[in-house]
Amino acid sequence: MHTMPNSKQSRESDTDIILDVRKLRTSFRITGEWHAAVRDISFNLRRNETLALVGESGCGKSVTALSVLGLVPLQNGRVEAERIQLGEHNLQGLSEEEMREIRGNRISMIFQEPMTALNPVLTIGHQVAETLLYHRKMNKEEANKTALELLDKVKIPSASSRFKEYPHQFSGGMRQRVMIAMALACKPDIILADEPTTALDVTTQSQILALLNELKQDSGMSLIFITHNLGVVASIADRVAVMYAGKIVEIAYVNSLFAQPTHPYTEALMLSIPRSDRDIKTLHSISGQVPPIGRIPDGCSFAARCGLEQPICRKLDPTLKPIDVGLTHEVACWVRGDYNLTMIEEHANG
Amino acid sequence: MTSNTENIPMPKSNRALFLEQMNRTFRSNKLTGVGAAIFLLVVLAAIFAPLLSTHDHIDQNILNRLEGPSDQFLMGTDAYGRDIYSRLLHGARISLIIGGVAIISAMIIGTAIGIIAGYYGGRTDDVIMQFNDILLSFPTLILGLIVVAMLGPNMQNMIIAISLTSIPGFTRIARAPTIVIRERDFIEACRALGYRDWRIMVYHILPNVLSDVMVMASLWLATAIRTEASLSFIGLGVKPPEATWGGMIREGFENILDNPWLSIFPGLAILLVVFSLNLLGDGLRDAIDPKTREA
Amino acid sequence: MFTFICRRLIISIPTLLAVISIIFTLVRIVPGDPAQTILGDQASASALDAMRERLGLNRPLLEQYFDFMGSALTGDWGESMVTGKPILGEVVNVLPYTLELTFVAVIFGVLTGLPLGIWSALHRNQLIDYLVRLTTLIGLSFPAFVSAILLLIVFAINLGWFPVISSGGRDDVIGWFRDLAMPALTLGTIMTAYIARVTRSSMLGVLSEDYIRTARAKGVPNNVIIWHHALRNALIPVVTMIGLFLGVLVGNSVLTEIVFNRPGLGKLIVGALGQRDYTMLQGLMVCYAFIIIFINMLTDLTYGLIDPRVKYQ
Repeated sequence: MHTMPNSKQSRESDTDIILDVRKLRTSFRITGEWHAAVRDISFNLRRNETLALVGESGCGKSVTALSVLGLVPLQNGRVEAERIQLGEHNLQGLSEEEMREIRGNRISMIFQEPMTALNPVLTIGHQVAETLLYHRKMNKEEANKTALELLDKVKIPSASSRFKEYPHQFSGGMRQRVMIAMALACKPDIILADEPTTALDVTTQSQILALLNELKQDSGMSLIFITHNLGVVASIADRVAVMYAGKIVEIAYVNSLFAQPTHPYTEALMLSIPRSDRDIKTLHSISGQVPPIGRIPDGCSFAARCGLEQPICRKLDPTLKPIDVGLTHEVACWVRGDYNLTMIEEHANG
Repeated sequence: MTSNTENIPMPKSNRALFLEQMNRTFRSNKLTGVGAAIFLLVVLAAIFAPLLSTHDHIDQNILNRLEGPSDQFLMGTDAYGRDIYSRLLHGARISLIIGGVAIISAMIIGTAIGIIAGYYGGRTDDVIMQFNDILLSFPTLILGLIVVAMLGPNMQNMIIAISLTSIPGFTRIARAPTIVIRERDFIEACRALGYRDWRIMVYHILPNVLSDVMVMASLWLATAIRTEASLSFIGLGVKPPEATWGGMIREGFENILDNPWLSIFPGLAILLVVFSLNLLGDGLRDAIDPKTREA
Repeated sequence: MFTFICRRLIISIPTLLAVISIIFTLVRIVPGDPAQTILGDQASASALDAMRERLGLNRPLLEQYFDFMGSALTGDWGESMVTGKPILGEVVNVLPYTLELTFVAVIFGVLTGLPLGIWSALHRNQLIDYLVRLTTLIGLSFPAFVSAILLLIVFAINLGWFPVISSGGRDDVIGWFRDLAMPALTLGTIMTAYIARVTRSSMLGVLSEDYIRTARAKGVPNNVIIWHHALRNALIPVVTMIGLFLGVLVGNSVLTEIVFNRPGLGKLIVGALGQRDYTMLQGLMVCYAFIIIFINMLTDLTYGLIDPRVKYQ
């Protein structure tokens, strides 16, 4: 396991919060009916903080990022939220033109597949310089110069000679660095990284993670890191939110999460990480499957696979509630969480 | 950790998926159904041509030649006094028979070659596809023209010519899914079980290839009918006094200044059949191709 | 770059050789005696013999083959049986007509088809899209001679805007234009239909690609995304398809030339057919082979030039 970064136990000061998402619900129309992929989640992100969104494929973590940036296709998608607050702007109310100014400028996004995420007929130099042209209104020379510096910053060797090359001439790891350079160009407040290392081999993976950490420390920006790999989370995150079937089931500072994984799903995830420092005979796996987007059962969506479920789990969906004194570690689980159960049961039965 | 992606209900058989897709296509894109309906009407008209005709289509009536549409001759008469309407119906037979037989034989031969090429791969595949691409790059009309010119203009040779021009297309279409399926594990399993090659190709690969092939068949039938008409127009079609649409237009062309309807009716007939087939085939193809489908 | 071109050229040669060989085989395995076909049923035995001698059919097959191949490659495509004139010369005579028709038809097709296809893709599944798809489908369904005849009836016969019979006057621009307009329109509309459809589906495919999403995530303005990011990628298959469509045009020009009585390669072939000009037919087949191979090569080259993935291997 990697060493834990210095996770700051920062004060719960509101001025520190750069992104505040409240009751985000993103739905898609599938064969005529609307189904929610992200179901009323709320979270916030502080300055210079790395928040990891962890979960299996299909749990809604990528959709969350796309929803924040307004990239959900409108023909079949719908984003609703009480608020998506970026500093002083509520992104919910912005027009497409105003959102365009935010994208690549104050919030950038990095995607998973470096192979397909770059335009094959444009030089990488141009693709990096593009945001500078449109958001900073630089002219070509300035933009190119800055782009070159960015390529150096992400440690692309002989950047000046490779400036005019095309994406297919770069390896996967290099392309991902180009993506990062692209994202950094306008010095955004937030970078949304959607599984940026999943498609890379392990060595490249750790290089990219180290790069991201370093860049984040230098620039003071915040990072939302989406992944299904808890091992990666340990080496990069300050706080972690575990998602399941469109909901956040546990959220905590990284130390606290690893020390005390409370939600049964989180616990199961932890157990199934292959570890080289322990002698484990069998790999643990979670039986069952994630409920498909249209068929999420009533009550807790994890109940069928849980093993600890109580009758109430099948009837009511648990809400996130803190289980620690500092109120920073929250869990949504009737069994492991801290609730007044009798009161809730009466409410459920009555 | 187990993490299956979205729902995975029991996989449906290919046939069930195909039927479902067809169902959805016809419901969502009404024009496809329209195309199918029109084509069906034409087929019925051709089948019942003798019943629907008002006159014998070969009978000449010099007294009544070059008359416009009237009560007696629904669409007028041609230069020999023959009833255009009845000739139109019989021309439908010829076009549909030539087109149909040509396409069906091309489908059988082309699919077989395509599957063989895709299945065996390597040198066989290279050689076959080289030939195929050469054939494919020849304009269909020129190729058909050459073949009919060489062999002599009659129905049989027309069928051979048009079939030849259609085979490379089917080969291409059949080969692509074959290559994909060949890599699947269950083919490995079949081989391990000692199945013979031809058995694998017929029972396991062919059913999967069929849906792609059938979809393109309607589009190529449209092309086949168009080619048949064009060849007849040039003079290489079934010989008179038999009625072919292209031939009728050819004869009408000589009188085009005074009697344009001689060319218009058969022209519209060709247009109708080709268009309806294109509608049908287009809709089917859109349904199968994921990129042009709705999200 | 240069090596790329050379490689393409070198690959074309065996294909050319293969096609010429096929033509040779085709002409000789066809049932029936060519001498008989040419001279008809009434010819005497001696006449038939003389014809066979003249056609070189009595020589050993291998000798015929090499002779054929050699002359085909050097441009000596024989002489017409009817006129006695060298076939290459006849072809060169009519080539300008065919070339200008094809050229204008392609330009027309591109200028009208590209915008239609793009427009259609941008308004997917809306009214415009359906209209474009429908009209292009109708355009495709017209065999060239049907649309040619219809144009003839409407514009030449009824409205009298254009001459019914081509005057062949190439001296003044107006006359030239009037002769070219309807044939070009006939073929051009076919090109428009093909190009519009290919552009549409290509655009739709490109717009759903990941790199377009990346561009959106960067806040690139929408029109830049369409015209700069998407179009350049979408055009690659379109341009290469034009090579395929040229083949369609070559075929359809035969029909157009007949209807509008224009000189051209198609007219040559039909004439040869009608007059049983056996050697002319053979020569023309070789000519078409050259044309097809040339078009293919051009297409390959174009593809290599526009797509950086191929250019910078």
